[in-house]
Amino acid sequence: MKAIGKGSLSSILAMGLHITRIIMWIAFGGVTIALIVLPFVPALTMMFGGDADIEGDEFFDVALAFATIAVMLFVVNRLLEILKTLRFGSPFVKENADRFRGVGYALLIGEGAKFAFGFLSMIYDAEVSINSSFITWLAIIAVFVLSEVFREGARMKEEQDLTV
Amino acid sequence: MSISVKLDRVLLDRGMSLTELSERVGVTIANLSILKTGKAKAIRFSTLEAICKELDCQPGDILFFEDDGKPSPD
Repeated sequence: MKAIGKGSLSSILAMGLHITRIIMWIAFGGVTIALIVLPFVPALTMMFGGDADIEGDEFFDVALAFATIAVMLFVVNRLLEILKTLRFGSPFVKENADRFRGVGYALLIGEGAKFAFGFLSMIYDAEVSINSSFITWLAIIAVFVLSEVFREGARMKEEQDLTV
Repeated sequence: MSISVKLDRVLLDRGMSLTELSERVGVTIANLSILKTGKAKAIRFSTLEAICKELDCQPGDILFFEDDGKPSPD
């Protein structure tokens, strides 16, 4: 199976990422609404004669989901832009190096947010499970390395293009 | 850039157009334009050889080293 072009692996990947993006936007919308509404839930239920109490865990869970989905949306968007340049035949451009670097920073912020939420949940005595694996950190480093590979590739391509 | 290209001057001396040189040397006009305008980052020996052969000149007639601040030998 070919890697670039119509019906290739990259086009299948792009289609998958487009579908993922749609699902993520829906999830992001839902989580955003939940994040806005959640603090008012006890007051609203009391208005209607109910008795609902929101635990700190739930708020932290929703806030963490909001941050995670935001980071993933950013990553998916950057990956789609990179795949677009691949489809048009020239992935070795400076912009892609910047995009990979952006993905690296986004993943770093995502992991940082996890730890921040973990720390806050400890302070407020909420039980939020924070999972950070060694593989994730390895992937972040790999993305930064990839970014530099693309930067060097872009430089070499420019030199090749300007060699007469 | 320290190396400047004076291809236009040699072309003028020989009364040859860039299109004609392109056809004779087998290098696209786009690439010769890159060379002529000084945007080129490198030149292959094969290209230089072909240009020198067609224009009956030496590489030094086309390429000049310009020290910072000092003018080229015009």
